[in-house]
Amino acid sequence: MPPALMNPLMPPPPPPSVSVSAPPELEGSDDVSGRSVTQKRRFGDLRGLQWRVDLGVLPSESSTSIDDLRRVTADCRRRYANLRRRLLVEPHIPKDGSNSPDLTMDNPLSQNPDSTWSRFFRNAELERMVDQDLSRLYPEHGNYFQTPGCQGILRRILLLWCLRHPECGYRQGMHELLAPLLYVLQVDVERLSEVRKLYEDIFTDKFDGLLYQENDLSYSFDFRKSQDLLEDEIGSHGNAKVKSLDELDPALQTIVLLSDAYGAEGELGIVLSEKFMEHDAYCMFDALMSGVRGSVAMADFFSSFPVAGSQTGLPPVIEASTALYHLLCLVDSSLYSHLLDLGVEPQYFSLRWLRVLFGREFSLDNLLIIWDEIFASDNSKVEKSVDDNIDWGLRILHSPRGAFIAAMAVAMLLHLRSSLLATENPTTCLQRLLNFPENINIKKLLEKAKSLQARALSVDISSPSPLIIGYHLQSKSVMTRSQTLPSETVSPKTPVNLLTDSYWEEKWRVAHEAEELKQDGIEQQIPTRKKGWTEKVKHTLRRAGSDPPPSRIKNGKKESKVVRRNILEALHKALGPEEEAEQMDCHEILCKQENISEAAEGVQQNDNSKGDNSYSSDDRCPSGNTGIEESSSVYSDSTSPPNEANYHEITSQGSSVASNLYLDECDETADTSLSDPPLPVSDHPESIPETSESTDVDVDKSENIPQMSGCNNNDPGNSATHPKEKKQNKFQWFWKFGRNTVEGISGKVGAASEPTKSTSSCSNQSNSQPPVSSTTSEHFTSVSSKGDSVDQNVMGTLKNIGQSMLDHIQVIESVFQQDRNQGVSVENLSKNILVGKGQVTAMAALKELRKISNILSEM
Amino acid sequence: MVLVLALGDLHIPHRAPDLPAKFKSMLVPGKIQHIICTGNLSIKVSLFLSNSIEVHDYLKTLCPDLHITRGEYDEDTRYPETKTLTIGQFKLGLCHGHQVIPWGDLDSLAMLQRQLDVDILVTGHTHQFTAYKHEGGVVINPGSATGAYSSITYDVNPSFVLMDIDGLRVVVYVYELIDGEVKVDKIDFKKTASIHTAH
Repeated sequence: MPPALMNPLMPPPPPPSVSVSAPPELEGSDDVSGRSVTQKRRFGDLRGLQWRVDLGVLPSESSTSIDDLRRVTADCRRRYANLRRRLLVEPHIPKDGSNSPDLTMDNPLSQNPDSTWSRFFRNAELERMVDQDLSRLYPEHGNYFQTPGCQGILRRILLLWCLRHPECGYRQGMHELLAPLLYVLQVDVERLSEVRKLYEDIFTDKFDGLLYQENDLSYSFDFRKSQDLLEDEIGSHGNAKVKSLDELDPALQTIVLLSDAYGAEGELGIVLSEKFMEHDAYCMFDALMSGVRGSVAMADFFSSFPVAGSQTGLPPVIEASTALYHLLCLVDSSLYSHLLDLGVEPQYFSLRWLRVLFGREFSLDNLLIIWDEIFASDNSKVEKSVDDNIDWGLRILHSPRGAFIAAMAVAMLLHLRSSLLATENPTTCLQRLLNFPENINIKKLLEKAKSLQARALSVDISSPSPLIIGYHLQSKSVMTRSQTLPSETVSPKTPVNLLTDSYWEEKWRVAHEAEELKQDGIEQQIPTRKKGWTEKVKHTLRRAGSDPPPSRIKNGKKESKVVRRNILEALHKALGPEEEAEQMDCHEILCKQENISEAAEGVQQNDNSKGDNSYSSDDRCPSGNTGIEESSSVYSDSTSPPNEANYHEITSQGSSVASNLYLDECDETADTSLSDPPLPVSDHPESIPETSESTDVDVDKSENIPQMSGCNNNDPGNSATHPKEKKQNKFQWFWKFGRNTVEGISGKVGAASEPTKSTSSCSNQSNSQPPVSSTTSEHFTSVSSKGDSVDQNVMGTLKNIGQSMLDHIQVIESVFQQDRNQGVSVENLSKNILVGKGQVTAMAALKELRKISNILSEM
Repeated sequence: MVLVLALGDLHIPHRAPDLPAKFKSMLVPGKIQHIICTGNLSIKVSLFLSNSIEVHDYLKTLCPDLHITRGEYDEDTRYPETKTLTIGQFKLGLCHGHQVIPWGDLDSLAMLQRQLDVDILVTGHTHQFTAYKHEGGVVINPGSATGAYSSITYDVNPSFVLMDIDGLRVVVYVYELIDGEVKVDKIDFKKTASIHTAH
């Protein structure tokens, strides 16, 4: 439908407040923005025109002549008209034509996606979706936006844009980006007709001899309307009689020239034309969505996939949210940390803010002023002084416009600062964020945003944004912690301030590595890991005083896997006769140990990259047991891809639940387990990777081993009674096994070998004859049923067990030996005494183990 | 624009196991606004592997607006002998056709068409696709959608009809399965305003 038809339906000057007050408002915002921008604002009082220039639809150079503008306008309109002809299909129309298309392809039930009918059905589907949203668009301005004419224009534009960009499709919110664009065009046209009313002479006199009204049908309506009003107008103003164009002030001159139907490109080139509002609105919308030549493309905010070339691997809108927090952190760290503490992640509210460019938070009038500023900011990328290899990843901060958007969001956060700081839980906090107050001083807000924009742009270059990603992940882990450790009575938070910048940098690097690993794909992942593993082994070896058996290195991953599997089997066999008390005790440790082994990996990685682990111990020691839990979960988050992190969350939760269960069952043992000094446990992960380096730590290991052995031993035992839990735990087990590096393995193998000893009385036999008791076979089957393909060749693998056991025992022994020889450092002396007893038993256990493994390898 | 699917004489499972796979893949939900079925659907069949559902239910999955008349083999007494409905500017009449003798005779059918006072009369029973423009109206027989044999002939091609009703114009698409290939034909019919006012 031609927009001219819309005219009669249009309410007389839409909401008058806007159409009349638009120019003054703009003046106000100009004051805010400072005069630096004003030079650019060539069409200050014609907002729609100005936006078209700002968005890149029309040339922005001030030297551009009116004729050029008209030509560009005409081109844009022609493009749109083409698009509309091509994409909006009406299946009946071609049918009438003589050239009857192939019926097998072009029929309503055609399966061919290219047929007119299937295109028609697709469009109809899209239209339904668009209509659903359009019918609820700006109900408060319903007298304009809800008119059939306006809805039709909006629908067609959205439809065409979505068809033109099938990769994006239609997403809720797009209509709210489009509506203000159409609105400002409408306001411009209103203004034009106002001017026309005042200076009718000029509009008509200019083409003397030609009857204007008859030649230009599009304006006939305006004139008929204005004829009646003309008398009053002239009477009241008195000065309406201006004889020539040159006497007008330049702004009005421009308007006249822009709407001259006889200028360049004729009627099609009338820049302010009601007829072509649809065309113009499409061009603006397209420019806004695709970002034309800059870094902020609104379409990205609707996509859930990372943009090509994105360093963070996050969807753009999440990335932008992260940038927002990054900026907030720099500006107001107390508010930032408060939000973090509450677990309010930026995307919870910024998704809504960013996708519709604050359209939901402000009234339409205010929104137009904000958009003035947003569009006035240049969208072109700022050249970074840093070399291209280091992309900070936060694309939104790359252009002044993006920076302004982020700054605006932060300004809004700061506006709510006091009420946000007063909130005590995330729900109320989000409530306040999502119900932005309506009566705000928009000027002040924009002023603030302006100052923040400068800050955002300058800061982005000087400081690495990884900071924020570290925080981002950390905030996730904070929540994890609260879930994983319900049994923990004290859970002190690690103060954020305690962490130095270098710490986050380190974490960023780790996260980055994980990111790269993920991208490599599964097949490549395994070799990489393997390589990392051997490297780490070498690393450890280099530092080791004693030589572990060389076979270990050769073994490679494959064998160690087999070994692990076998150990697990052995564990299952051994568990029958264990006491329940012990079971529970160990089970709890298991869940800790799992986290810890994660941490161990993280530490090890950091070690490799930095070669100094002081910060990690700094991080741990003050926070104690919980601190470890926290840091370990931090590590696991940062080192593993998101999926795994999630998985870890779930499983650890499950296991902690299990530990709770057992706590209830048997308080006594729970006490003992809790009374265990937390430090040894915490040191354990470190001790393993650095066996040879720091002997003092190794001492603790002797105590840890019995604990862990119990735990490993009993985990299956527990699972026998709680099959579901077992599944989870076991899953984690295997997963861990699969991805842990040598330190984890040696720790576990060392630990796992222990149970064999403790239950040697019975397991010794059961090892050699697997299906000896009913319980054993039961567990055996349960293992195989889980899909962890149990090796059929039991005997062969038993041999392997023996071999690897021997190896591991040798390692442990050598460590002990070393320990003895070198003595103990002062600070750990007391601890050593405490655990001395454990050490002795451990040694005894080792001897036992040796015997067993000898027997095994002989078989 | 309204799409109306007309089909009938399926005789599942007695004379045909199922709708042809090619037809089934074409008939997808969301496109068709109305289904008119002349009858002789017969009873329970397995249309979805092991799930045994009635043809009636299958048609309902394509489009909830389903109109069925009763064929001589239909046991369901809920189906009426004849049915009329108005879609857009067209009045449609539906009847199985075994009641109209001689079977498939245009004059007899035209009589029924006048009786029901419809623009488009859809009947079945002969298992042969036919379409006549008659007295300013259309008489259509969509044939058998499964290609079931009839009491007249064994040589039946599966066929059904899709009507695209748009204003005063109806385009009848005929889908026929010949040697495993779906053949589509099109018949244009325009209702003249005079006939409309004559009612």
